[in-house]
Amino acid sequence: MKGKLKKLSEYKWLISKELMKDMRADAIIYANKKLLDEVEEAAVQQLTNVACLPGILEPVLGMPDMHWGYGLPMGAVGAFDKENGVISSGCTGYDINCGVHMLKTDLMEDEVKPKIRELVNCLFANVPCGVGAHSKLRLNSRQLDKVLVTGAGWAVENGFGVKEDLNRLEENGCLKGADPAKISSQAMERGAPQLGTLGAGNHFLEVQIVDQIFDTGAAKVFGITEPGQITVMVHCGSRGLGHQVATDYLKIHESAAKKFGIKLPDPQLVCAPATSKEGMDYLAAMKAAANYAFCNRQIIAHWIRESFSQVFGKKWEEMGMDTIYDVAHNICKLEEHTVRGKKQQVYVHRKGSTRAFPPGHPEVPPLYRDIGQPVLIAGSMGTASYILVGTEKAMSDTFGSSCHGAGRSMSRRASLKKFRGEKIKQELEKAGKALRSTHPKILAEEAPDAYKDIDMVIQSVHGAGISKKVARVIPLGVAKG
Amino acid sequence: MDDLTSDVMFEAFGKTLEEVFEASAEGMFSVICDIDKIKPEESLTIEVSAEDEKTLLYEFLSTLLTESEIKGLFLSRFRMKTERKNNQLIMRGNAFGEKMSPEKGGTVVKGVTYYGFKLEKTENGYRAQVAMDI
Repeated sequence: MKGKLKKLSEYKWLISKELMKDMRADAIIYANKKLLDEVEEAAVQQLTNVACLPGILEPVLGMPDMHWGYGLPMGAVGAFDKENGVISSGCTGYDINCGVHMLKTDLMEDEVKPKIRELVNCLFANVPCGVGAHSKLRLNSRQLDKVLVTGAGWAVENGFGVKEDLNRLEENGCLKGADPAKISSQAMERGAPQLGTLGAGNHFLEVQIVDQIFDTGAAKVFGITEPGQITVMVHCGSRGLGHQVATDYLKIHESAAKKFGIKLPDPQLVCAPATSKEGMDYLAAMKAAANYAFCNRQIIAHWIRESFSQVFGKKWEEMGMDTIYDVAHNICKLEEHTVRGKKQQVYVHRKGSTRAFPPGHPEVPPLYRDIGQPVLIAGSMGTASYILVGTEKAMSDTFGSSCHGAGRSMSRRASLKKFRGEKIKQELEKAGKALRSTHPKILAEEAPDAYKDIDMVIQSVHGAGISKKVARVIPLGVAKG
Repeated sequence: MDDLTSDVMFEAFGKTLEEVFEASAEGMFSVICDIDKIKPEESLTIEVSAEDEKTLLYEFLSTLLTESEIKGLFLSRFRMKTERKNNQLIMRGNAFGEKMSPEKGGTVVKGVTYYGFKLEKTENGYRAQVAMDI
């Protein structure tokens, strides 16, 4: 299939629906030639599979960080008609509302660098991470229900942050219409002890240095004024609760697809008609899991502020530790988009893709409405991350979506064979960076070289015009599970 | 084995259905934790049923993943028994392990997937192939 891609521009490649009998929509991959060459044939196949589902809207999208994933590739978008389309737990995947939360500080590199080891140790102690890490919080079922309904609002109500934070989160940190009754008791049991934990794998907490500013105007609105300034980024999701919601609804959607006679091009792409009970139930459960994730990142952000206070002996407000934004990059949402010249309601499934709404869009917080929605892109461990903003072109061409990160280019097993965790740690420390993890194996699995080149990924979305670069940040200290 | 860019796939073998189930569980937990260091200090009871062996294996691994997290246990040993009741195949038994601790942790398995999922009879018994979303 890759051989049949048609080049539309330097960053845009078409898979025409004429190529396959069952494809109902074209698919487009956004990437430069080098990144496109790295995309697995199987991942391209997965994009074409999604294009065969009922009610799919044109185009199905692959982002430059795209790689093989479960059902829908990571780094992909599938949008469906609200009436005739489907809602797919298979398209959203296991890590519901995996996302990125970012804080700025007024501290500069020269103030933080001498204390970076102490700071990372403090963060590592204050934010539980790794498999089986215990949260410092103990929630009863009534409190957990509240988290699922109100999201980050619960965190702020309970002292983990301030009201102003909520104005700087996607959806204000709360998707409306979440229903805890649609979640299994196992999901609740898994979720209760894990709120306020980072997890493991590619999830991380990073202290960063602003390295380059591309758009001084937009950066200033985010409170970023000069290179050398310190920012902090958290990458994590809805933990075991979200994984269980996905597991439960994959089964429900498998039966639903059979019941409604939906022909699945790939059994992983299980789904239900958008108007069916199975579709609606999933949406209400997924929103609850998404709210858990928003709340989780808000709580962690609060502990980050506390850790900075502990190490630098100042209140977080004195260090200007304001929230920049919080984005979801694994989610299904009902949004309004213009399709074939007509405005319509659309279920947008973003898997490994960040919303990228343009300036002026009513869902962009008033604070950022003149510059567009912040698009936070987490790089791999040890490499750069980016802040971008959404654009009109994203709205018209990609259902208001962009990429999400670097994207793996090498399997975890291959990474383990090729890299040694201890060596990676030494090399990063030699470069003046601090790194803490529960064990060295995870560092080898998450080695920077196991990922695509983040600068190239960003250049592709910037070059294609679906997001605009604002600033590049590089890691100074990392805590991982 | 077969490398998935973002996930992990393993194969497991056993002379009997019970053995291949136990070996598959070991395969899964060797990703979740440092399985060689996990002592059989605590146990949990597992019972799953399905109409066919393949679905039974999926249910078994998925249930183990859920239950181990709810009980907060890293699991390392499994003693299973099958029986057939009416049209249902039942797999029940015990899984042994110790309380989870991040120092002995591996990575989070988010789910057992049907991607390339196989359970087949071989000359010497059974072979399973399982991919996990991590």
